Amino acid sequence: MVLLIVGASLAGVLSAGWTPVLGVQLQGGVEVVLRPADEVSDEQFERAIEIIRNRIDAIGVAEPDITRQGDQVVIQLPGVKDKQRAVDLIGKTAELTFRPVITFFDPFDPNQRAAAKQVVEGSAVAEDENVDGDTEPTVSLSDLLTPPDQDDAAATVAVLGSTGQTGFVLAPAQLTGEVIEEAVATFQGQWIVNLSFNEEGALLFDQMAVANYERQVAIVLDGVVESAPTINATEFKGQAVISGSFDEAEAKNLALVLRFGALPVEFERDDVRTVSATLGEGTLRAGVIAGLVGLALVGLYMLLYYRLLGFVAICSLAVSGATLWSIIAWLGESKGLALTLAGATGIIVSIGVQVDSNIVYYERIKEEVRRGRAVRSAADGSFRAAFSTIIWADLASLIGAGVLYQLTSGTVRGFALYLGITTLIDLAVSFFFMRPLVVFVARRLVNERPKRLGLTTITEEASV
Amino acid sequence: MSFSIRRLYRGDTSWDFLGVSRRVLTGSIVAVLICVAALFIQGLNLGIEFEGGGVWEAPASEDVTTDAIRQTASNVGMTDARVQRITGGDDIFRVRGELPAGETAESIGSALAVTAQVESELVSARTVSPSFGDEVAGKARRALVVFFILIALYLTLRFEWKMALGALVAVAHDIALTVGIYAIFQFEISPATVVAFLTIMGYSLYDTIVVFDRVKDNERSLSLKTRMTYLDLANVSLNQVIMRSVNTTITSVLPVVSLLVVGSLIMGASSLQEFAIALLIGLLVGSYSSLFVAMPLVSSLKRREPHWAEQDRNAALLSESNSIENAATALAADRYDRSAPPRPRKKGRKR
Repeated sequence: MVLLIVGASLAGVLSAGWTPVLGVQLQGGVEVVLRPADEVSDEQFERAIEIIRNRIDAIGVAEPDITRQGDQVVIQLPGVKDKQRAVDLIGKTAELTFRPVITFFDPFDPNQRAAAKQVVEGSAVAEDENVDGDTEPTVSLSDLLTPPDQDDAAATVAVLGSTGQTGFVLAPAQLTGEVIEEAVATFQGQWIVNLSFNEEGALLFDQMAVANYERQVAIVLDGVVESAPTINATEFKGQAVISGSFDEAEAKNLALVLRFGALPVEFERDDVRTVSATLGEGTLRAGVIAGLVGLALVGLYMLLYYRLLGFVAICSLAVSGATLWSIIAWLGESKGLALTLAGATGIIVSIGVQVDSNIVYYERIKEEVRRGRAVRSAADGSFRAAFSTIIWADLASLIGAGVLYQLTSGTVRGFALYLGITTLIDLAVSFFFMRPLVVFVARRLVNERPKRLGLTTITEEASV
Repeated sequence: MSFSIRRLYRGDTSWDFLGVSRRVLTGSIVAVLICVAALFIQGLNLGIEFEGGGVWEAPASEDVTTDAIRQTASNVGMTDARVQRITGGDDIFRVRGELPAGETAESIGSALAVTAQVESELVSARTVSPSFGDEVAGKARRALVVFFILIALYLTLRFEWKMALGALVAVAHDIALTVGIYAIFQFEISPATVVAFLTIMGYSLYDTIVVFDRVKDNERSLSLKTRMTYLDLANVSLNQVIMRSVNTTITSVLPVVSLLVVGSLIMGASSLQEFAIALLIGLLVGSYSSLFVAMPLVSSLKRREPHWAEQDRNAALLSESNSIENAATALAADRYDRSAPPRPRKKGRKR
């Protein structure tokens, strides 16, 4: 029954092609821990994490793991190629800018792309003198678009709208998100966003309004046009309203963008780690080989000492291992949670705990048998006492894992997670698997010959 | 000796654990004092995670010397850099130092890669801000305090406060010894080491709980029938769990030794090495302390309780020469009742 469940889940995981997601230390990549430089509200923090996630998605990392741990953000980018760029991009406080729209283009039309390219380079001649003369006929989209990390406020840039369907060529920024005092989404017949500026901002905004009257001004964040409202007045006196066909979510999102700017939080890089793929692989290989050798030694010892029961212990380990594999693969697949080096070592260590549950039980059985009880009834009867010991001891481990998981971050937290998981597996396997198998072995295979359990005393007595 | 091992194997020991506990405890106290002294005099060798700075690791080849790497490091402004060549498996150069102003982890990595004659993709780097370490240490401390309080509560509820005290003293003992060894040999402390310390605490507690569970069990079932003193009770219980302790320690140590030997010596993964060393020491010390520190402490506390003090006096009055004899009788009384008559026991059976 238990075997069926475990087997089914393992088969499911394997057939779904899920494999454990390996952490940065195990396959190479980048790991960054960020902490806000100043006090921030929860809302700002969540927003910041969301922006970081968007940026990382934009550079195309296979399995990014971005989690908030207390007042830190832990970002793991296993297997990322361009490490330095990833690191730069993550913590950058790119600004929200207001840029007048020079022209639009269709990102899917090569001719329009080439035209847009010319417009962009036309005002950036100083930087690119060599290519200036003749424009290549084919301009790919990635050539054209300004990368988010080169989103310079003083340059002319080509960016896409938030849906990716429209391209914009934008003039240098007229003002930045800093001058916005407040932005709220309200419902007045339709969803609108009310903006208010500080004194400096009111002045600058009016200047921009005069220069761009009845033209569109784009609100740009991280190389994406969030909104491009048309200016329909020349004097705002520090108050502006953006209206359009927003739904509630869009309006609120825009308000949030305006209020918090790009990354609403300035982050300090607490810990930046780049691991080369070869070093990661080396560590992984070493860990796996060490784990297998350790397992083999433990198995051998248990067989020598407990004979048939040792076989049960090996089976228990195998079942636990299969369960653990399924869980890690599932966590990796559904939660993007990677198996870290600390986690992996924690698992190797947990071999000891799992085996101990077996030993506690077996020693109880041997003791009962020594007191003259029959093997099969000892196997039945000892379980209660042994399992209570196992529960109380495992409970202490669980308390430890819980406290550590709640109160720490990074390495220690990863360790606590796997400690907790393996302890729960230990309890389940002890109850649902080890016990029935031991009882079965005691009934069918031992035949009251305790020697098969590595017991000598009674055999000897019986032989007298 | 072989005789007593055979007895151990049969679970037939009657060692006087608590009789030797005074001498053993003295040894423990001395060891702890040495470790604490080392901690204060030498301090700990903290890794960059706690002190801030950067570490770069590049594959090492035969033609590149450590001096060349050191020269490169000082060229880019890292004058106080520590440069090591780590051998075992594939050799690597390890450079540790402050990140100079105006440089990035990547730029230094590239410079080192040129000198080491490898592609810059192969250089691993890590930089940590100084405030991060304080934060990590602060969090760990807070977690420890909460952990200790919760465990104390848990053990008090499950057993009694005297046992909670005994268990925590044993854990503190283990941590003191392990940290002390790190101070004495100046091993580097990294988050992985902290994880190892926490594991040790877990193991030590686990072990101690197994022992206490048995003592409590015996307290209920044995002591009512007999005139056992608490010392006897504790001794009997320890003898009953000794085989479990030995086996569990062996099976826990085997994977760790394999991690140490295979993982780091043969394959050269240094991050596994630190972890394994701490664990190995901790595991051994942890199982020792459950038997020889936690239990003696509890029994000396328990003997002051009126009931057990009374038992002690009775035992003295009866002036039984060997208290273990008493324990053996008690065990015999507890022998599972079988209709078959008792059989003679032959010693030293051949295997």
